Amino acid sequence: MIYGSATVFTLLLVVTLSIKGSTGLQWIVSGLTVGSIYALVAMGFSVIYSSTRVINFAQGEFSMLGGMLMYTFASKAGVPVPLAFILSVIIVTLLGAGFERLAVHPLRYSSVITVIIVTIGFSIFLRAVAKWIWGSDPVKIASFSGDKPIRFLGAALVPQSFWVFGFTALAVLLVFLFFNRTIVGKGMTAAAANPDAASLVGISTSTSSLIAWTIAAALGAAAGIIIAPIKFAAYSVGTMLGLKGFAAAILGGLGSAPGAVVGGLILGVLETIAAGVFPSGYKDAVAFLILILVLLAWPQGLLGRRQDVMA
Amino acid sequence: MNESILEVEEVTKLFGGLAALDDVSFSVEAGEIKAVIGPNGAGKTTLFNVLTGVYRPNSGRVILKGKNIIGSRPDQITAMGMIRTFQTVELFEGMTVLENTMVGCHSRSKYGFLSNSLRIPRAMREERRIFEEAMQILTDVGIETRASDEGMNLAYGQQRMLEFARALASQPEILLLDEPAAGLNPYETGELSNLISKLRDRGLTIIIVEHDMGLVMGISNDIVVLDYGEVIARGTPDVIKNDPKVIEAYLGIGTE
Amino acid sequence: MARRKGIVETHSYRTFLIVAAFIFILPIWARPIPGEALHMDIVNLMVLTGIYACAVLGLNLLLGYAGQISLGHAAFFGIGAYTTAILCTRFTWFPTWLGVILGASLAGAIGWLVGKPVLRLKGNYLAMATLGLGEIAFILFSQLKGLTGGTVGMLNIPPLSIFGLKFDTDIKFYYLVWAIVLVIMLLTINLVLSRVGRGLRALHSSEVAADAMGVNTGSYRVKVFVWSAVLAGLGGALFAHFQLYINPESFTFALSILFVTMVVVGGMGDIWGGLVGVVALTFLPSIIQVFPEWIPGIPESLTNFSNYALVLYGLLLIIFMIFLPKGLSYGMERGVAAGRRSAKLLLDRIRAHD
Repeated sequence: MIYGSATVFTLLLVVTLSIKGSTGLQWIVSGLTVGSIYALVAMGFSVIYSSTRVINFAQGEFSMLGGMLMYTFASKAGVPVPLAFILSVIIVTLLGAGFERLAVHPLRYSSVITVIIVTIGFSIFLRAVAKWIWGSDPVKIASFSGDKPIRFLGAALVPQSFWVFGFTALAVLLVFLFFNRTIVGKGMTAAAANPDAASLVGISTSTSSLIAWTIAAALGAAAGIIIAPIKFAAYSVGTMLGLKGFAAAILGGLGSAPGAVVGGLILGVLETIAAGVFPSGYKDAVAFLILILVLLAWPQGLLGRRQDVMA
Repeated sequence: MNESILEVEEVTKLFGGLAALDDVSFSVEAGEIKAVIGPNGAGKTTLFNVLTGVYRPNSGRVILKGKNIIGSRPDQITAMGMIRTFQTVELFEGMTVLENTMVGCHSRSKYGFLSNSLRIPRAMREERRIFEEAMQILTDVGIETRASDEGMNLAYGQQRMLEFARALASQPEILLLDEPAAGLNPYETGELSNLISKLRDRGLTIIIVEHDMGLVMGISNDIVVLDYGEVIARGTPDVIKNDPKVIEAYLGIGTE
Repeated sequence: MARRKGIVETHSYRTFLIVAAFIFILPIWARPIPGEALHMDIVNLMVLTGIYACAVLGLNLLLGYAGQISLGHAAFFGIGAYTTAILCTRFTWFPTWLGVILGASLAGAIGWLVGKPVLRLKGNYLAMATLGLGEIAFILFSQLKGLTGGTVGMLNIPPLSIFGLKFDTDIKFYYLVWAIVLVIMLLTINLVLSRVGRGLRALHSSEVAADAMGVNTGSYRVKVFVWSAVLAGLGGALFAHFQLYINPESFTFALSILFVTMVVVGGMGDIWGGLVGVVALTFLPSIIQVFPEWIPGIPESLTNFSNYALVLYGLLLIIFMIFLPKGLSYGMERGVAAGRRSAKLLLDRIRAHD
């Protein structure tokens, strides 16, 4: 299955490149750019899911908030970009951690449906508050290093893409190091694989849930900030970003960090190619169609387990 | 009584390459009490999950009353007359003792969404019948006075009895009991033992997974011993008690 | 022993009669007096309440009883609305009542088509899949311009008429909608008191155990999903013939969330609670709009409900799930019981003093 889809995907890239030439290359690069963002959001889903078995429906809103806060700090208040970045991430992270303590933690013995409804409530709450604060018009955030396109084999690439690639690589590396090299991270990995082992490794499920929400909120916020100069930031972008990040997480296999990255990149490229081929009004429908098809045909994804998914 | 009602033939169930059940075969005769014992992790619960259609084995067959039931849904297997209880009591939350028991009548009643929405007389008669049968069973196991209490509010021992009642409401031919004595005090275990014998005398076939050796040796006609997913011994309680392989399997792990 | 079941039944049916009587007399006294004082058209709001109640009754069966979530029920509501709107505006001779029936049926048929594969998924996944379906439906409503009129929507939808009787005023529509709601209510009560209702609750509580007890959970899940889609479609079709115009904005994610909020606020798995939830959330915007008269000096941004409807829904979902997971009606029952107890206690003390 994995090799089959890798072949099909490669074939698709080759066909796109040979038919569309430099336009095709541009599609693929911008696909990889949004794909990196989906990957970060997907990792947020995966981290929370593997430690708590909860899908955080507010994951996309973390990204939205990151972008909007960045707008306030960097574009309105004139705070230097690195500082504005850090401030925005910290605020969103505190919000995520606070929500975990106040709402998710008290429901740790409740049914999945209860927790789903609570995170849905949180997501529409954040979205509506953002609309209140920032209004409904999209806002523009300056790129980190100018907008002068870089020519590459006839395709024009925005410099922000390289920030996105670089940052995604860094974030993936940090998350990997945390879960595989630190004692706390390794404990969480062990506890996720076998809940009974949680007490043995000395990480309580409560701590592990808090850490997971903190990481997910930080990842989400950072993703929202670095993509904001390319796509506009607006109160409404979170839902879509969340859904696509979720689709990416499913595609790669929910709970698997490498799966999230692969899923995100594939989804980003597929979606961009589809948007080039189909009328633009249907662009988002393509992403949902992919989500539903993946859920139905191949719900365990590249690296997941089927019994977690099917009723 | 030599007719076998259930045949387990060469059943293998793998979990990620590890065999939870490895080529397990045995047969159960109608009207006997068959015990399945073994140390923790020997594959006993996996066996029940295969028998009741929760898991599909990687290979092998399970023949219930002459029909291969591999691939059948759990509710279909229940409708064929084989029903289980759970190791951890799985009562229905927010439902009364009576309602819990009435759910057990599901496989022997048929009226669906439309008939019941419209309250057609036949569906109402069926409801009446389900109600009366459920009350009768509650009386049989001795918890009829708690009929209108929420099932989850019963004392632990009574919850076990309710699980029994719920399973019996399907009027099964084969009853699978997954560690029914777990958490019961000696008095309650004695009551349980009497109840099981009484059911056998009524013609029920019973397969029991249990750690309480006193209970197992006291009531079962025949025992199958599992260790690491394999059958290591089978026979009457007397044979099993003296089988060196069994003693080793248990002593190797530590006695229960 | 036999009494318990008897009590539950007569209790439900007695409540039904009380509610039915209340609904019958409501317009008679509600129109002139409080309607004037509150600046709200109670009959008009009650029509909307009834329309939403159709959808919420179905969703309550799905979410509250069977424990299966749907974040895309606005899609079925929209399918019902668009079906009858398209038929009745394209073909002016088309009987509107048939349009409503076809709208509900088509919603059910599509519910079956998507429900059959999607319902194999567990909670988290089901929520996402239904959310995706809702978004796809919204995109189709906006993009299939030739059929749906795109973002402008459809105007001049004829009012509902059944065998020459035209439901073209609020009060006529009120009695029609609530007659339909009461029939659905009765069917729903019958259903939840039967073996099917017990099967659905069993499925909600423990799927493995429900399976093992002989409940065909897969089939139940699909059937209750389809039935809830039919009811949402029916609500949507009535909505189209009441508003007389529709556009995609009426069938967004926010509507799906509103339905879920109504079920949660009223009480999951509590039919009367569901109704309480619908009434509360349908009247809430109008009640908030009269705040300036009650509380002088309140800023205007607070009186425009649409500004913060979702803030409120979000908060309600979180607060109810954490503090009142059984919903408003259960909370009220408990409140009344507690009130009675403390009143009795007080009385006892006073008597003891004497």
